[in-house]
Amino acid sequence: MEMKTRVVGDVHILEIAGRFDTNTVPPVAAWLEQVTAAPKARVLVNLAETTFVDSTALATLVQALKRCQQVQGDLCVCSLRRPVYMIFELTRLDKAFNIFVDEEHALQSLNS
Amino acid sequence: MLVALLSSQYQRFAAIAEAWLAQGASAFGVFQDGHPLIYWPSSHRLARPSLSVPITQDEQPIADLRVAGVTGMAAELRLRADAALISYLLQLEHDLQCMTADLVTSQDQQLALYRLSQSMRDHVTVHETLRSLVAEGMRMTKSHAGFAAFIPKHGQDPLLVKSSESFLSDEMAWRIYWHTRSLEHAVSLPDPDGDFPLLPGIEDLLAVPIRVRGSIMAGMAMANRAGGFGTPDMKLMQAIADQASAQIERMLLYQEMFDQAKLRTEMDLARRVQLDLLPRQLPQIAGLDIYATSRPAYQVGGDFFDFIVNPGRPFVFSLGDVTGKGLSAALLMTMTRSAIHSKAQFMPFPTPEAVMRQSNEDLYNDFTRVGVFATVFVGQYELGSQRLIYANAGHAPVIYRPFDGPAQLLRADSTAIGILPVSHCRNQTLNMRPGDVLVVATDGFSDARNAHDETFDIERLIDLIDQLAPRTAREIADAMFETVDRFGGGRNQDDDQTLVVIKGAAS
Repeated sequence: MEMKTRVVGDVHILEIAGRFDTNTVPPVAAWLEQVTAAPKARVLVNLAETTFVDSTALATLVQALKRCQQVQGDLCVCSLRRPVYMIFELTRLDKAFNIFVDEEHALQSLNS
Repeated sequence: MLVALLSSQYQRFAAIAEAWLAQGASAFGVFQDGHPLIYWPSSHRLARPSLSVPITQDEQPIADLRVAGVTGMAAELRLRADAALISYLLQLEHDLQCMTADLVTSQDQQLALYRLSQSMRDHVTVHETLRSLVAEGMRMTKSHAGFAAFIPKHGQDPLLVKSSESFLSDEMAWRIYWHTRSLEHAVSLPDPDGDFPLLPGIEDLLAVPIRVRGSIMAGMAMANRAGGFGTPDMKLMQAIADQASAQIERMLLYQEMFDQAKLRTEMDLARRVQLDLLPRQLPQIAGLDIYATSRPAYQVGGDFFDFIVNPGRPFVFSLGDVTGKGLSAALLMTMTRSAIHSKAQFMPFPTPEAVMRQSNEDLYNDFTRVGVFATVFVGQYELGSQRLIYANAGHAPVIYRPFDGPAQLLRADSTAIGILPVSHCRNQTLNMRPGDVLVVATDGFSDARNAHDETFDIERLIDLIDQLAPRTAREIADAMFETVDRFGGGRNQDDDQTLVVIKGAAS
C-alpha cells in the first residue's frame, strides 16, 4: 500500500494505492486522525488505486467520518473501483458515506 | 623531565662529576636556559665554562652540559659522549612515561567500558541505553556536552537524547547525526578539510556512527572537551560505540521477544474469550438442519455466532463481526453478542429488526468512542412456518440458495451497528422449505488469500454453495473450510472464519 497526501484549497486529499487492510491501516489512521482534528475539517479519500479494503480499513474511514462530523466538517470518498464499491454497497456503507465518481465532483461538493 | 631524571639518577651524575673533577676539571654541571640545574662542586657556579655541549631531546637542544678548567679535543669528545648518554637516557625515560600513560589510559578505558556495560545491563529500552551512553560518554571523554540518536527501522519515532547543555539544539544534533551517517565514519570538528561548519556553541566535537544489525541506525557525539579530542579519544569513542551497538541490538531483540510474548498472551486470551463464549451445542429445531462453527485466526478478530432457544418463543440466531483484532475486538464482540442475546431473549415481541435497532442504540456511543463497528445478521424462525425473518446490519457474505433456484447474495439492508445513530434495519423474509440453504459467513472466507495475493471472493463462494447445496449443513460447512484452505495453499489464515449454515429440512 502507498499513500499520498496533498491539499487542494482547504480540502485534505488522501490517495491510497494497493491493499488497504489491517496491515496497512496504521499510517492512514494516523494521518486521518491528524487532519480531522481541525474545526470544519474537509477530507477527500481517493480510492482510485485501491484494490482491496477490509473491515479494519472501513472502520478507519468510518471513524474519520464521525470525527469530521463532530467538528462540523465533512469526509467524502471518490473513484472507487468495482470490487471496492461492491464492499461499500454490500455493507450499506454507501448510506453512510458521500461517494463520488471522481475527484472533481467530490471537490465541488466539499467546496459548496 | 630532565629535572626528574637528574633527581632520580643523582648518584650517577655525581659519579660522572667526580670523574671530571678527578681529571682536573674545576667544575661540572647541567644548565637549562642559562640557569644551573645541578653542579659540582657546590661552591662553583660554572659562570664561565671552558666547554659546553647540548643535551638533546627529539633532536632539539633542551639543556647544556658544562665543565670548567679543562680544554682540548679529548675533553670535548668525552663531554659530548656524556651529553649523548644523558640524551639517550632522557629518550628512554620519555618512552617509559608514554608507555605507562598508555597503560593507565587503557586500564582506565577498560574499567570505564566495563562500568558502561554494567550500567547498560539493567536497561530495558533503547531510550534508557541512549541516556546512559550520553552520561557515560561525557564522563569518559571528559566532554561538556553530548548526544545519542537512534532511528528505528519500522517507522517508529526517532529517539534523541541530549545532555542538558542548552546550546545543543535538536536541529544541530540531527544535522551532525545525518552528516556522520552519510560519511559512514567518525567525524571530528573543527575539520579544516571538510565543509561542515562548526555550529554555534561547539568548540570541538567528535561524532561516531553506531552500526546496528549491519546498518547505521544510531550515532553519538561528544562536544567541548578541554584541550580538544585526540587519537586516544577517537579510539575510546569507537569502543563506546561498539559497546552501544551490541547493547542496542540486545535491546531490540529483547523488545521484539517482549512484544511477541505480549501479543501471544493477548491472542491466547482473546481466542479463549471468543471460543468459550460460543455455543457449545447446536440447537435441535424441527424443520431446520443447523451447523455453525468458528475458526479464529492467529490475530484473533471479533467474530461470533449465537443461538437463543426459549420454549414457546421463536428460535433466534445471530452472527457478527466486530472490526479490529485481539483482545479489544474480543471484548467488544462479547458486548455486541450480549446486547443482541438479551434483547432476543427478553424483549416481549422480539423481531430481528427490533433487536438490531435496540442494539444499535445501546452500542452506538461506545462504538463511536472506540472507533469500531459490528456487522451483524439476526435471523428468527417460527416453528413450522418454513419462513425465516432476518435483518442484516452491514454483514456480508450472506448467501441464500433456494432448493429450486441458483444461489444469490443477500445484500444488507442497513449499515453495521455503530455507524449511524439510528439503524434502518427492516425485517426481511426468506423461505426455508426443505432443501433451501442459507449460509451466513464472515469475511474471513471471502477475503482469504492465496500465494498470488488473490482473494477467494464472493463469486467463488456463490458458485461453491451452488455445488454444495444438496449436502447437509455440516457437510456444506466442512467443504467450505476445505475449499478455502485448498485455495490458500497453506498460507496463514488472515482473519477469523465463522459461519452458520441453515438448511430447511422435513419437520
